[in-house]
Amino acid sequence: MIPIIRSDAEQQLRKFVGADAYIHSEATSYIFARNFKVRITEAFVAGEGPYRVALRFDGHGWLRMEALTHYEAEEQGRLLLAGYDDRGRMNVALHLGKEPFPE
Amino acid sequence: MKNSKTQRKLLAVFAHPDDETFICGGTLAKYAAEGVDITLVSATRGEMGRRMGNPPYLNRESMGAARESELREACAHLGVRSLHFLDIRDKTVEFIDEAVLTERVAEFIRELEPDVVLTFHEKLGGHPDHCAIGKATTAAFRRTAVRGSLYFISFGDMMAQPERYGYSREDVVRVDVSRHLQAKLAAFRAHRCQTEIDEWVWRSNREALSGFGKHEYFTRGAGKSGNGGAHDLF
Repeated sequence: MIPIIRSDAEQQLRKFVGADAYIHSEATSYIFARNFKVRITEAFVAGEGPYRVALRFDGHGWLRMEALTHYEAEEQGRLLLAGYDDRGRMNVALHLGKEPFPE
Repeated sequence: MKNSKTQRKLLAVFAHPDDETFICGGTLAKYAAEGVDITLVSATRGEMGRRMGNPPYLNRESMGAARESELREACAHLGVRSLHFLDIRDKTVEFIDEAVLTERVAEFIRELEPDVVLTFHEKLGGHPDHCAIGKATTAAFRRTAVRGSLYFISFGDMMAQPERYGYSREDVVRVDVSRHLQAKLAAFRAHRCQTEIDEWVWRSNREALSGFGKHEYFTRGAGKSGNGGAHDLF
């Protein structure tokens, strides 16, 4: 995981637009949702860091997350975004993949 | 080689990698050093943990394998011979069918015939995963054990004052772990992604060791009491 470069993160996110994606999304201390499948129609990155990311999906859905600081575009095509605090604790995570994540 | 009738055996059934070290690592190291055969069952790989290293080097997808590897190293430091996972996702143990979970733990008890079973108290365990695995293990012990004793692990020195939790002193075993803190510290450090945030763990050995209590406390769950009285689980 490396600090988010906004232009590159946007480019990586756009690779998921127009197709089905499996999502893992969590606010670590409160909720996680793993492997819900949506058809992404638009993807946005906003802010100067920490960053906000929003996805529009299925013609009627939104997923918006904030406090994202780091990311990694994996070789197998998964995009992992996460928000860490200054001591390495995770606050939020947003993962996108073409295949389900391990259950 | 001791034969299976004289070999003392301990089965610990916990929820996450690091439970064994942070809560009762000194006791496991002590009994391992005395030749007790120790088996650890961890319900999860702790893959939903929040501490990702400091600075962070893990993500949600890499965490399970990292923590499994850390646990294997910790087990080597403590002398835990055998490690098993129930492959349940971290934070979901309480949602697993109770009868199924109980039966899975019961299989380990039948197979091993342990003298001592350690797990969490189903109400005092703290984390929901702790309480759930404690409840299932307690039920499994009652269903299967023809011998041996069940004890609940407890945090720090909370059971130095058992009355606060509805227990009496006779219910508590206080194990002296003062000679096994070096192994406990090594196991703490093996759980690197979880302990990097705690500066005291990484100070000099002498300073770090001073952070540990000399005793770990257990409350009697079920089964016949060992001969060790107030200071020994066996």
